[in-house]
Amino acid sequence: MKILVCVKQVPDMDSRFRPNAAGVWFDEADLDWRINEYDEYAVEQALQLKEQLWEAPEVTILSIGPDRVLEVIRKALAMGCDRGVHILDPEISMKDPWQVAGIIATYAGEEGFDLVFTGMQSQDRGSAQVGVLAAEMLGIPCVTTLVGFSFDDGVITARRELEGGTRGVVRLSPPVFFTCQSGLNFPRYPTLPNILKSKKKEIRTIQVEDLPASAPLSVTTGFYPPAKKGSGIVLEGELNGLADRLMEILRGKCAAVRL
Amino acid sequence: MVAAREIYWNVGHEVIVPIYLFGLFAMAVSAWGFYRRIRVYRLGRPLDRFDRISLRITLMLKNMLTQCKVLREPGPGALHALFFWGFGLLFIGSLLIMVQADFLDPLFHLRFLTGGFYKLFSLLLDIAGGVAIVVLSGLLARRFIIKPVGLQTDREDYLIHTLLFSILITGFLVEGTRMASTEIGINPGLASFSPIGLGMGRLFLALSSIRLALVHRILWWLHFFLAMGFIALIPFTKLRHIFTIPANYLFTDLGPKGAIAAIDLEDESITQFGAARVADLSWKDIFDTDACTSCMRCQDQCPAWNTDKPLSPMKVIQQIGESAFGESGTGLVGLVGVDAIWSCTTCRACQDICPADIEHVNKILEMRRNLVLMEGAFPDNAVRTAFENLEVNANPFGLAHAGRGDWAEGLKISIMAIDADVEVLYFAGCYASFDRRNREVARSFVRICNAAGVKVSILGKEEKCCGEPPRKLGNEYLYQMTASQNIELIKGYGVQRIVTTCPHCYNTLGRDYRDLGLDVPVEHYTTFIAGLLSGGRLTLEPARFDFTYHDSCYLGRYMDIIAAPRQVMEQAGGRLTEMKKSGYGSFCCGAGGGRILAEEKLGSRINAARVEMAKETGAPLLVSNCPFCLTMFEDGIKTGGYEEELKVKDLAEIVAERIRMKSEG
Repeated sequence: MKILVCVKQVPDMDSRFRPNAAGVWFDEADLDWRINEYDEYAVEQALQLKEQLWEAPEVTILSIGPDRVLEVIRKALAMGCDRGVHILDPEISMKDPWQVAGIIATYAGEEGFDLVFTGMQSQDRGSAQVGVLAAEMLGIPCVTTLVGFSFDDGVITARRELEGGTRGVVRLSPPVFFTCQSGLNFPRYPTLPNILKSKKKEIRTIQVEDLPASAPLSVTTGFYPPAKKGSGIVLEGELNGLADRLMEILRGKCAAVRL
Repeated sequence: MVAAREIYWNVGHEVIVPIYLFGLFAMAVSAWGFYRRIRVYRLGRPLDRFDRISLRITLMLKNMLTQCKVLREPGPGALHALFFWGFGLLFIGSLLIMVQADFLDPLFHLRFLTGGFYKLFSLLLDIAGGVAIVVLSGLLARRFIIKPVGLQTDREDYLIHTLLFSILITGFLVEGTRMASTEIGINPGLASFSPIGLGMGRLFLALSSIRLALVHRILWWLHFFLAMGFIALIPFTKLRHIFTIPANYLFTDLGPKGAIAAIDLEDESITQFGAARVADLSWKDIFDTDACTSCMRCQDQCPAWNTDKPLSPMKVIQQIGESAFGESGTGLVGLVGVDAIWSCTTCRACQDICPADIEHVNKILEMRRNLVLMEGAFPDNAVRTAFENLEVNANPFGLAHAGRGDWAEGLKISIMAIDADVEVLYFAGCYASFDRRNREVARSFVRICNAAGVKVSILGKEEKCCGEPPRKLGNEYLYQMTASQNIELIKGYGVQRIVTTCPHCYNTLGRDYRDLGLDVPVEHYTTFIAGLLSGGRLTLEPARFDFTYHDSCYLGRYMDIIAAPRQVMEQAGGRLTEMKKSGYGSFCCGAGGGRILAEEKLGSRINAARVEMAKETGAPLLVSNCPFCLTMFEDGIKTGGYEEELKVKDLAEIVAERIRMKSEG
């Protein structure tokens, strides 16, 4: 069985985000990078399935971007994936979901994977489209917001997270494309023997120029923080006085408060 | 009259044959007992504790003969020391008799147990035996009547107390019956030099000389066989500590306090990291369990034990011993328990007080290494999150690394990337850089450097966590990754001198980083400030304040820095009221061993216990020297509701408030 996991390297959400010089994305200087949280669930699920099937499946980890994404590929290898594929593309952050999905589908189409796992969305762009688009391009069914997974004799029972806490149950067989939601599993912490073993695992580099390119369907034209509308007020002083002032403000500014 | 005695009086010289046969037999049994135990020690990994052998022998003799470690606990310690000296003198006395009676006299007609020397000999031994009986009674009363809480007493203790008493008492009875026949009434001048024997002997004067001779012979053989039994029993009972503790002194760790071997990550032959089974520990770790007499002192000092957590350093040692010598195939983790393993704050109070020189801390660290590195297990999710934050942001808070130098904005201090031509690199550490309360300490330190004219820079956003908390939690890999990055940076700037305001960074950069290639001198700011004051670069305007002082574990017990901070506080105008547990006996704040990153869910809070101790002194101010302690005490004061009665400040803040500016002459 061949399993593919697609992971994205995203900036840590606690970083300071400033628009870049061109004003179409954030400036990458001084950011802390990490593996996209939703993709971690994908990696973990692939590895759990591999363990269930007596280590027979081969798990390939793929990431697109400049050299720095090798770190997330290595992290996934350290968790237990077998080989890595790095699609070298320094301009990935300028590409739209259609183009990203196209790159994945081109690579995956040639390899013939039985299962593909990826995160439901990325923490930086959050479009939630790449997985679904790539599945369609590959012509295979896509199951999104995966929060439960079991594999039994070739049949997968998937649980999807729907509104209001309900779960949708889907039963199907490979090939399938999954996008993973938090709550699916608890990603393992790489053990040291696995970290050391991963240093020997193969990482294949593909130049993005060597893959057929597609034009974007959407283009980012602006990137800016929301305009400041007004700042908060901090009330200080005696407790009774504070209560009075608060009442004044609520009466004056809030239509919802009946006093 | 001749001041001497006829050795082998009444029993006859022919006893030499049976006593040597039995003696050799007893020693053979003892040797065999130890041989069986040596086979078990060798299950552990190799470790070189045989280097610098003359220094080791000196330490062993000093520690053994002065009983200095035993005397750390004055009450019971004095009892044991006196017993040791008493029994030791009696043993030497017996040896001298053997040397004269069995070798020097028959072969060379040499007798030294005569005259003045013999009188001194006799008196000393009587006193030794008397003192031994008195203190043994004291020890018996402590164990069986007073029964200190937590002291384990079993059948072996009954046996040993009985055996020791009977050896001592039969010894005096033998002397008494002999003196009743040969000295009392016959050689009173000599008899008075054996006062206890004299007293004993008077009890037997009523017996006829034939009866007396028979009683003496019976008692003589009884005393002999009791002594042989004692020798044979040594390796099979707690008595083995007679040999294992001096041996432990011999095998002591001569390296710097707190050092643990760095795992060689390049060594591809290593398949097990940390300790999962006894065989993963070193032979010395297994030997330590044989040096333990379950005296309980480590447990009494342990902050985890004293706040109802399941960790007892004594039990950990006992359990490792059980696993090594027993048949149980259970791994160490199952036997010791994860809760106990994770509860340790590595405060080192156990190791510091241990009279047997047992090394508790590193065994726990090796077990943690196994849990983290082999199983990916953690005490809780907070630690896991902190590890991930350390990997991504180089600090446990998960805050952007880019903001690490922000605290210094507006201060007269630069970053190494801009100005590396400085006297001192101030390694601020994660807490001083990011934690709101601890930033005050960093700012105070800069003000002090400015006033003293010390040119200092920080690494700012290039600085990464020193790696100590993950290392102490067992994550050796994460530690080496962050450490090697710091080291490359520091070396790249050609740094000559490093000062930190955190004892954990201080220990790590100053000691642990040596194993990874950093050789720059590192100082803690308390001694650094002391140096500035004594060198006249800094002067203080003392403003009187009453305070109590907390010796942090990593400054006090680990680095022996106890007097210097007190002297600085005195120069600042401080009037100190010591807590009951201070100096080497200081009680941990609870944050060490990486536990600052973890949640404290078991038992009661260690920081609350320490804040109570500070409050008890009546001082309005608690002074600390560590960002972890400062954080724990601020929290402890708040949760205890003591904000009106007790404040906590760092030593740097106190000094910075009292700087006398040069311009004021």
